[in-house]
Amino acid sequence: MEIEIISFGKISEFIPRQKIDITGISDTDTLKVHLEKAFPQISTMKYKLALNEKLVQNNTLISGNEVVAIMPPFSGG
Amino acid sequence: MATERYHRQVILNGFGETAQVLLSKARVLVIGAGGIGCPALQYLAAAGVGSIGIADDDTIALSNLHRQVLFNTDDIDKLKVRIARKRLEKMNPEIEIISHPLRLQRENILTLLKGYDFVLDGTDNFESRYLINDACVLLGKALIFAAISGFEGQLAIFNVADKKGQRCNYRDLFPIPPQPGEIPGCTENGVLGVLPGIIGIMAAAETIKLITGIGQPLINQLLHYNLLSHDQYKMTISPGDNYVMADNENDFLKMVDPSFCNLKPGYNEIDAEQLIILQKQSTIIIDVREQHELPILNDEVYKKAPMTEFPIFLDSEIEEKNIVFICQHGIRSILAAQATQEKYGSRKNIYTLKGGIVKWRNYFI
Repeated sequence: MEIEIISFGKISEFIPRQKIDITGISDTDTLKVHLEKAFPQISTMKYKLALNEKLVQNNTLISGNEVVAIMPPFSGG
Repeated sequence: MATERYHRQVILNGFGETAQVLLSKARVLVIGAGGIGCPALQYLAAAGVGSIGIADDDTIALSNLHRQVLFNTDDIDKLKVRIARKRLEKMNPEIEIISHPLRLQRENILTLLKGYDFVLDGTDNFESRYLINDACVLLGKALIFAAISGFEGQLAIFNVADKKGQRCNYRDLFPIPPQPGEIPGCTENGVLGVLPGIIGIMAAAETIKLITGIGQPLINQLLHYNLLSHDQYKMTISPGDNYVMADNENDFLKMVDPSFCNLKPGYNEIDAEQLIILQKQSTIIIDVREQHELPILNDEVYKKAPMTEFPIFLDSEIEEKNIVFICQHGIRSILAAQATQEKYGSRKNIYTLKGGIVKWRNYFI
């Protein structure tokens, strides 16, 4: 099973749009651990996930084929 | 009310005179007369928003002009709010434009916001954005949030109840503000002038939709816009439960964000991890220890300016945006940061390494 990852701002510079295999990943908390291991840069940044265009506030189940967005805060004006 | 000025929008199906009257009665505060604020102000004024406030304490610089389209070359060094008000009054003398030449602070923001119904945030730093958000939550003001990074923009409406009666705010997205240097702003990162133009006009459009009740404003939604691809991504925001808001003005005045609590003296104390982040940007690191002190650091990376000669050093101009001072224990570097802050004010980001080289020895050698 796989999910699609999209990202924004600074994060898109090191996590390009891609599909990842989520074998062994069944929820967003586990996905976070996986992402921070695969892309250590995000572990020192504030970011939020959205699962199928909904902000992830609490650990949420992933069943496959979802689109997960990773976004940092923007401050520029 | 149906003046010739607004004729083309009044005849629009679904807009009409009713919407125009709502615009004329609306009071909108635009905070930050910069890349986002300028175009937003132009369109809000042109559309006939009855009362528009502009809050900004900055003066116009040459490097502003490629995106801050209300200003001319001969306006350099003049107050942004003054020039913006003059330009907008000329463009539409039928509305009221109020300039607020002040830096928003916890102590003055509530008084300022109370005179308005809608707040458009086009500022350029997280400290202001969190302050504006928290004040809008306390006072129940609608907040139109517009921000940019690189070639991308973010747009959202906070503090307005959706159909389910739910209201979200910026802390539902990011409860804790980023540390200094964690997310670069336009000064370090660069910006193409048209991007804040697009996002600023989109923010003005959301404001007009909100005032007049047309369409589907981005209530409890965050829109991402990418200038290079024209890709848009819209997501729904739901309330989070991992932050606490002030529920009265006294508590609001006492709120402290740990990320900003060192900003008051005009410089920030950072750790080695933040130093590494800053090193990737326009940053000069200055070692203020005397020549004989060990360990001796690579002077190509750590510029030497001993405290005994510091006044002479300070006479020269520093080009970099970020200035980090280091010393043995992080005490003398505070004095250097204070002296530098007196010279540059808010034009530079000034940092000092807390605990000094002794604490972060492994990082330096």
